[in-house]
This record gives sequence, C-alpha cells and structure tokens, in this order.
Amino acid sequence: MIRIEDLNYYIAGNPILEDIQLEITDQEFVAIIGPNGAGKSTLIKLILGLLPLQDGKIWIDDIPHLEWLSAHPMGYLPQREEYDRRFPANALDIVMLGLAAETKLGRSFTSQQRERGIEAMHTTGCIDQAFKPIGGLSGGEMQRVLLARAIVGGSKYLILDEPESSVDQPGVQDFFALLKELNMQGRTIITVSHDLHTVSAYCNFIVCLNRRLHCHNQAEMVNAELIQKTFGKAVRLIDKGY
Amino acid sequence: MLYFFLIRALLGAILSSVSLALFSPFVTLRRVSYLGEALSHIAFAGIAIAFVLGLHTQAVTLVFVMAVALAIGRLSQKYKLEEANTITIFLSVSMALGIILISLRKVYTFDLASYLFGNVLMVSTSDLIVLGVLCLLSLGFIIFFFKELFYLSYNFEMAGFYRVPVSLVNHLFLAMLAANIVINLKAAGIILVSAQLILPASTAFNLSRKLPSMIAVSAIVAAVAAVGGFAMSWWLDLPTGAAIVVLEFILFLISLLLRPKQ
Repeated sequence: MIRIEDLNYYIAGNPILEDIQLEITDQEFVAIIGPNGAGKSTLIKLILGLLPLQDGKIWIDDIPHLEWLSAHPMGYLPQREEYDRRFPANALDIVMLGLAAETKLGRSFTSQQRERGIEAMHTTGCIDQAFKPIGGLSGGEMQRVLLARAIVGGSKYLILDEPESSVDQPGVQDFFALLKELNMQGRTIITVSHDLHTVSAYCNFIVCLNRRLHCHNQAEMVNAELIQKTFGKAVRLIDKGY
Repeated sequence: MLYFFLIRALLGAILSSVSLALFSPFVTLRRVSYLGEALSHIAFAGIAIAFVLGLHTQAVTLVFVMAVALAIGRLSQKYKLEEANTITIFLSVSMALGIILISLRKVYTFDLASYLFGNVLMVSTSDLIVLGVLCLLSLGFIIFFFKELFYLSYNFEMAGFYRVPVSLVNHLFLAMLAANIVINLKAAGIILVSAQLILPASTAFNLSRKLPSMIAVSAIVAAVAAVGGFAMSWWLDLPTGAAIVVLEFILFLISLLLRPKQ
C-alpha cells in the first residue's frame, strides 16, 4: 500500500502539488490523469524518491518511502529514458540493470539472474530483441525492454510515466493489455497518462490531479464533470459513446 | 647504456598510453572528455605549488587535482551550477594561479615545455614502476567495477534508481582519472594527455560493438601508436608525445574507413 499524507511541493516558491492525500491499495491499477503541468510526473518522482520530499509524508507498506526503497526493488518506467543510441549495450544488458540492487558491488550477474532477465523479456514480449544492440530498437521495442527491466527485480509495484508517449496507437492498446496482465498477476500499477480513452478501458482507479487532487475513484465513477474540473478549460469533452 | 635508456623510454610510452586508453571508453561514453582536458590543465597549478614550495611534484599535483575534481562536483551540485562552466572556471583559474606562482620565483629554472608537451625520455626507472602500478590499478579498477561503470555510463540517474552505488563509483572513477592524468603528465604532457584519453576509444568505437572488446581495442590502439610513435620520434627526431598523438589520429582515420555500415 502506498499512502501519501499532506504532501506539498514547490519549485522556486510556486506550488506544484498542494495538500495531496492519497492511498493506493495493493493490486490496484491506477491512472493519474491531468493536464500538462498538473504535477503528475512530480508526484510519481516523489513516490520513487527521485525528488526530495519538502513537506508531507509518503509511506510504502507502512514504512517511510525512502527506507522502503533502499531495501526493496521498485519497478519504474520513465517517460523518456536518456541514452546514447550508440551505447554498446544489447537489450538484455539494459534489462539486467533491474537486478543490480541484488548483486554485490564488483560482482557480475549469475547465469540464473540472466535467466530471470530472459524470462522478464518473454513476459513483456521483447525476447526477440534480447541480443540486439539498443541503438537498433524502435520506440515500442525499447519500451518493452524498459518494462522488462522494471519487473525483473520482482517488485510488487510498477510505476509508469506516460508509457503511451513513445508508442503508436495500436501499440498503446497492446501495451496497456500487457499492463493489465501484470496487474492481474498481483502487481500494483500506477501510471501517469494523457490517454483518457485507454485508461478508462484498462484501469480500475483514476486519480484526477491538477496541482490538487480532484478525485480518486473507481474508473467507472469518473465522469465528464470531474474530468472537466481537473483539466479545466484545457479540455472540451466530446461524447464518443465510450 | 643507450639500449637500457631506450627500452625504459619505450616502456614508459607504452604504459602511459595504455593506462590512459583503458579509461578512454568510459571518458568518451560519459562525454566527460572535457573533464580530462580540464584536469590536465588544473594540474599545472599543482605543479607550480610543488615547484614554489620545493615539494614532491607528483604527490602535490595528485592531491591538488583530486581535491579540485571533487570540489567541481560538490560546488556544481550544491549551488546548482552548470558543471561545464564550473570546470572552465577552475581550469582558467588554475592556469592563472600556476603562472603567478611560477613568476614569483626570481630564478627561472622551470622547464615549462616538458610539462606542456611531455617528454618520455625523462621517465626514470622509479617513474616506470609507478606507471606500471598505475596501469595494473586502472585495469583492476575497470575489471572490478565493470558492471557499475557500464550502467553509470549508460544513464547515471537510472543506474542510481536501480541502486547502483553511483556516487561512490563516480568518486572512485574521478580519483582514478585524476591519478592517470597526473602520473602521465611527465610522459604525455598537459596539452597532449587529453588527446590520448579520447582518440583510442574513438577508434575502438568504429571497430567494435561490445564494451569489453572496445576497452581491449582501445588499449591495443594505444600500444601500437606508442611503439610506432616512439619509432617515428627516434628515426625522424620528432617529439615522442606529439608523434604518438598523430599516429593515434591516423589510426582513427583508418578506423573510420573500416567502420561497418550502420
């Protein structure tokens, strides 16, 4: 369970997140939606310990989040991974980073660990790319490689930042179907998204965020009015019947 | 006697080039080649301090360069400065400090040229032992921390997220890089040392696709250039460091022609 209490976050004195109270229970598949600049990425980076907490508390399984993160694997898929396409690594090498935490300093990975890497690539459907150089992978293929890295450590949590941003539309549906499968296997998934149509089809819970929390509801209870309130004038909802 | 002198100088050239070449792939992949350039110039102030105070040049320079390398990292982080700017500031100020300190000595006995361009013929037997130890330490460091250095070079932030001890390994990397630069100054020179940090890996990247083989190719390129450059300097009466750098550049051009099509 992830619990966020009285969270505020400022950049140069400007509030980015205000008074966030949020509880995500185990095995939920949660989408955080909101307009650009709503603080969605900031919120997940705070949960992941990638940004320092300024005000408030985050608990993971009732342990302060940084303490929990220093002792447990956590799955994370960044919005855009910075890397040099000529970097001399194949896809499996990148997946193996997900097991670095459980490997002692100066030790290389064991063959059992490499098997786990291969298995994770099977699960995310990118096994054919395992020994290809990363420079030759498409956006969608790299996305699945990074997802394999996020799950290989066996984390019960999987946090994704706009996974649809580097995949084309049919690819997005397949990717969310895969996430749903991972969720059904018992993982708690939190994804930031812009794609209301897709998240409403796959996620159980939707968190509407625009600096403040507007709602945290079951997906089917999130209606047009709430979304309008979250996105403000940035969105005009057109009823397409879904 | 001449034979011994020549062998010592040749070994000095090889060890110096190879130890720099071992770091070359990481310096290039992490895009910190300007740091190598800066540290070699920062060393000039260290040399000047040792010269003015009459202390051991290499020891003082090593401590000075390591301290500045760590200070650059700390200052950039603490005051949110652009690292490239901080490095340039330290580079220029170190050169200025060095020039002032040397000018304070009334009797001008400082052989500036040999520090700027290096002189492998000045390498003594004890220097050779230090170079040998440095080469072995560099090799050991890279083999032991290979996994960590690999991920650090791939993406520093993500390596840190997946709990690779990035800060520790990065500090060790900077310390080893500083040691490599300072100890190689006598043989390679302030101006030329950074070329030997970039060229071998640039050549290796054109010929190999895996990091371990890149490191090996980088070291081989450096060794070949060292032997070739040494021979050129002997027969054509050229400065050795410059001949090695030119030869490394020629090998780089050849590797461009041999590069497999993308």
